[in-house]
Amino acid sequence: MITEHGAIAKIWNWRITVFATLILLAVAIAAVSFGPISINFFKVFKTLFDLPGGSTGQDRTVIMELRLPRVVLGILVGSALATSGAVYQTVFHNPLADPYLLGAASGAGLGATIALTSTNHNLYGALPIFAFMGGVLAVFTSFIISGKFFADPNSLLLSGIAVGSFATAIQTYLQQRHSASLRPVYSWILGDLTSASWSVVAWSSVYIAIALIILFSVAKQLDGLMLSDEEAYSLGINPKRLRIIAVAAATLATATAVSASGLIGFVGIVVPHLVRGLTHRVTNRSLITIAMAGAAFLVLADLGARTLLSPAELPIGVITAFVGAPFFLVVLRNRRKVTQ
Amino acid sequence: MSIIVTDLTVRYGEKIVLNDISLEIESKRWTCLVGPNGAGKTTFLKALLGMAPYAGSIQDKGVEVFKSHKRNVAFVPQHPQIPQGMTVAEYVMLGRSKRDGWGNESLASRSFVHKVLTQTHLFGMQSNLVSQLSGGEMQRALIARALAQEPELILLDEPTSALDLHHQISVLNNIELLKEEGVTIISTMHDITLAAMFAERIVVMKEGKVLLSGVSQEVIHSPELKRAFDNRIDVYTLDSGRPVIVASKEKHL
Repeated sequence: MITEHGAIAKIWNWRITVFATLILLAVAIAAVSFGPISINFFKVFKTLFDLPGGSTGQDRTVIMELRLPRVVLGILVGSALATSGAVYQTVFHNPLADPYLLGAASGAGLGATIALTSTNHNLYGALPIFAFMGGVLAVFTSFIISGKFFADPNSLLLSGIAVGSFATAIQTYLQQRHSASLRPVYSWILGDLTSASWSVVAWSSVYIAIALIILFSVAKQLDGLMLSDEEAYSLGINPKRLRIIAVAAATLATATAVSASGLIGFVGIVVPHLVRGLTHRVTNRSLITIAMAGAAFLVLADLGARTLLSPAELPIGVITAFVGAPFFLVVLRNRRKVTQ
Repeated sequence: MSIIVTDLTVRYGEKIVLNDISLEIESKRWTCLVGPNGAGKTTFLKALLGMAPYAGSIQDKGVEVFKSHKRNVAFVPQHPQIPQGMTVAEYVMLGRSKRDGWGNESLASRSFVHKVLTQTHLFGMQSNLVSQLSGGEMQRALIARALAQEPELILLDEPTSALDLHHQISVLNNIELLKEEGVTIISTMHDITLAAMFAERIVVMKEGKVLLSGVSQEVIHSPELKRAFDNRIDVYTLDSGRPVIVASKEKHL
């Protein structure tokens, strides 16, 4: 770390955040441009900003009604999962923590399965609500069981695992009883953004925006949670209260993301480590950058999902894992070299 | 300014950890709590910090310490949680959080951290990861973070445990830097010889009670000190006049 005028260098450089935002913008415009029907990049730009010379007719419909809501949903879900993952990793002092840790995924899976296996077909349309409620209820149950009002993160982690296993057991039982639902449930578990529409974007953006605003506003203090409670307290934060706020907001973001797009794995683990690995900084001041990178990563993965085997679509979870895992390993290897 | 402890009692369930302690701790002095394991030394520090609910009072100018000092009490734990991936500079910079606001990095604070790193002989290691520091370096990093806080009161829980003699002295010298800054220091220590060398006052504790408190040189020659350790320590005085406290040889094994 270079010193300047007898002072240590700044820990976080906000130019990294600006760079991540520019990448997200470029990826988003590319994602709207490319697909089974390719549309000129500049035309897309003009259409998006309603400038003269923009697309009309079918191209405009493809841009505004099909691709744009999908890209916006990708941005919302990607930023929600990446930010939540980073927050969980800090709160639980566990680099392998992901947004689904406290039973959010299993609970949402159970909720979705209940909707999909119901004989009442009206419930199928309410799948996002069931998934959302399932995810939130599972995490809330984990909180209640762990007791002591979140005094010990490890007890919450263990109760999350237990609640998750219990929800998965019920889900499996329901699937066995309704074998016709196996395929739609499996498809939902792999996650996709095909259900994207402006109405899905509208309701999910409200919850994700609330959650992210809360998380960004406490991001700097989250560094204190990397220490012991006594140390954090002596540095002026209330660790128990901060943990509750952080986990509640991260859970809201995760449950909303899951209910809008199913279970998209790997984003919550890979993206925070990517950003930390590339910048060599673990500070939670990088949370906004992690959100931008998560959004760009998911939009790019979705672009791959719908173009690689066009006109067929791959599940986005396959892309996130296929691309994310090797990239993640390269970053991990480089980071180890730096720290050795 | 003195810290007045009155009828301090801390319970964990049915267990009484601190039992009706009354004590005066002088400001801008180094007070060391000594006593066998389970005496309640760490709990006393946690009560001062406001992390252990207690009955009674710990007051400074009529206000509970953990409230009045909430913004300027530093704590150096015996077993710190070591953050993975954090550099020494980032770690020490956390100490400026209360002054600057979390995450703000004013030039004044970065200069202050530069000074503190130099004082604690960590300058040149600021880009190293804290997870890769040796025991002595980690302890210095903890003290550097405490110095960065510019605290009025610092609580140190066994700051020299698990360090070799050279590093023990180095760390204790670093703590003395705080005293020069006018900071009130309260520490726990197992090594009574070192406590007597550095601290001005010693408080002898056993089973949640204070047996004796006073000027170091008086306390270490007192029978209460031996009683706290069930008469299993011997106190010798070197030619230089410096006392040395060692464990007695067990007669019945």
